[in-house]
Amino acid sequence: MTDVLELAAEPEAREVEPLERRDARSVVPGRRPIPGLRTLGSVAGAFLVFGLLLVANGTDVIEAYQAMWNSVTRDANSFGDVLVRMTPYLFAALAVVVPARAGLFNIGGEGQLLIGAIGAVAMANAVEPSLSRTPTLVLMAVGAMAAAAAWAGLAVALRHTTGTNETISTLLSNYLAFLLMGWLVFGRWKDPGATGFPRSRILNADERLPLLWGRVHIGIIVAVVTAMLVWAILRWTPWGFRLGVLGGNPEAARRAGLRSGRLAASALMVGGALAGLGGMLQVTGVEGQLRPSLMTGYGFTGVLAAWMVRHHPVKAIGSAGLLAAIAVGGNGLKIRAGLSSGSVNILMALLLLAVLGWGSRPTAGAR
Amino acid sequence: MLEAILIGAVRGGTSMVFATVGETVCERSGVINLGVEGSMLAGALTAYAVGIETGSPWLGALAAVVAGLLLSMVHAFMVIRRRANQIATGLAVTFLGLGATSLFGQGYVSQGVKAFTTHAVPGLSDLPFLGPILFDHDPLTYLSFGVAPAAWWFLYRTGLGLRIRAAGENPEVLETMGTSSERVRWIAVAVGGGLAGLGGAQLATAFARTWSEDMIAGRGFIAVALVIFAGWNPLVTVAGAYLFSGAVAFQLELQARGAEVSIFLLDAIPYIAVLAVLAGMSGRRRHAAPEALNAVFDAGTQPA
Repeated sequence: MTDVLELAAEPEAREVEPLERRDARSVVPGRRPIPGLRTLGSVAGAFLVFGLLLVANGTDVIEAYQAMWNSVTRDANSFGDVLVRMTPYLFAALAVVVPARAGLFNIGGEGQLLIGAIGAVAMANAVEPSLSRTPTLVLMAVGAMAAAAAWAGLAVALRHTTGTNETISTLLSNYLAFLLMGWLVFGRWKDPGATGFPRSRILNADERLPLLWGRVHIGIIVAVVTAMLVWAILRWTPWGFRLGVLGGNPEAARRAGLRSGRLAASALMVGGALAGLGGMLQVTGVEGQLRPSLMTGYGFTGVLAAWMVRHHPVKAIGSAGLLAAIAVGGNGLKIRAGLSSGSVNILMALLLLAVLGWGSRPTAGAR
Repeated sequence: MLEAILIGAVRGGTSMVFATVGETVCERSGVINLGVEGSMLAGALTAYAVGIETGSPWLGALAAVVAGLLLSMVHAFMVIRRRANQIATGLAVTFLGLGATSLFGQGYVSQGVKAFTTHAVPGLSDLPFLGPILFDHDPLTYLSFGVAPAAWWFLYRTGLGLRIRAAGENPEVLETMGTSSERVRWIAVAVGGGLAGLGGAQLATAFARTWSEDMIAGRGFIAVALVIFAGWNPLVTVAGAYLFSGAVAFQLELQARGAEVSIFLLDAIPYIAVLAVLAGMSGRRRHAAPEALNAVFDAGTQPA
């Protein structure tokens, strides 16, 4: 008998298309019109429905969309805000993409980002202050990735020893990570000089990422390069191939003698490490210190970004960028149109729903 | 102290009782709905807003059921008609609820509502120990005492309940008998969404008596975990909801008594409790999963 708690992800996570098949698609004659048209239609549909909801709320839609557009395109800094926000989104998406290749569903990105930030600061506290910037930052990144991989490893261990489904355990671990962060910044890591809300100490200059311009730190470059690396690794390394086999047909993987338990564990832990790196970049590039509500919602947004492109690591650059633009646009909506910035969650949800229901893969429709 | 904890467990757990029982019915039909969180939010805001506009918390609760149900219909449409991934769709539906309540709820933040009041049951509420725990609550809490037995009766003693379980276990058999498993699933998802909406209503207009953005704060997600925890049994589900809220009440009580432990570690107790019970769950209960739900989680990478 199959068992929901021992078994992993979704039939559709299994249907994550191998990259090769995507290319072969153009071979299918006739029925497939202009590529990208479905996606474009989905995106347009989402904006249309969001507009209708704004009308229902009595908002001037044109003005609202203009406010969003302006807050993203006003100048180099506002566009930079999108790049800055996109960085943790992309890492959170990659944290979903890698386990999904093995048929696993990681919704613990929210917590893994936080643990990465904590790991980075822990490492910064531990290393010699005399160390120069580059080695310090590299060590912080290592600390972040190790901590977050170990954190994701808890879900792996639970799955391994007791058969607890990783979807549920990674979901619950988000709350634990949030509480751990609170415990640290209200307790032993609390900056004695902090006024108002408790925060950890302010990182010194050698623990901060170099800036490209304005508020834009080098994290965006790291993020884009990482996405491409993930794509290359999944496509060309034996490990990536095995993950694909495991996710595509676990029975075949077992018969081929793949060590599925170990493979699944590695996928989930690599996913955790990627989110951890995202957390490190956020705390060293943007925040400069830890605080309790750091990156709230970023992990779940990453899940949206990953599913919007059906777990394609390079396309996730685009979806993370789009969601980041919408999030930044939400601030414009608040300042210029007087709407709550959380309203844009509607738009993000509609985008994902459009892709899930009407996206590139032809749906089977009603059976 | 035990009495205070148990009172807290019932007061804080009621919204989750509604949500978990609803999600149990839903999952029994083979559909897992992470949008419960969103339905609870929709219910909370709707109950609050309608309560303010009409002055009647009961109309608010009724409207909350409709709101939670309507949002869950998005989930039903996506997963039943469009065959979309259930987990991803559920998450998107929660985002939809989060955004919509943020948009439409903006004007209601920190407005006063005519809330449900507590009514002590004459006689029974004077019982020692049990009285204050069980018989001194708001009407929705009394209603919640009946919802799990009702769901059990519905699932195991009615024809529709049988069809819902069949849709979850073996849709082909259902189709052979001339019943559309899709239609049955629509109904099950609707029940789940409606009850989640009612849970949200209880939270906003009886427990917290306020509306704030994202006030459900993960209770809906926990509800989904609790259904698995309870082995898809509506009666056990209630125990899970009270265990969770009891753990919350326990740590609040410890704090009130000035325990020398960080509140954040105490706050972690409920989550650790759920994880621990999930991990320690007996094989028998784990095998209670509806087969069609296994197909959702299927594919995988069993631990070696």
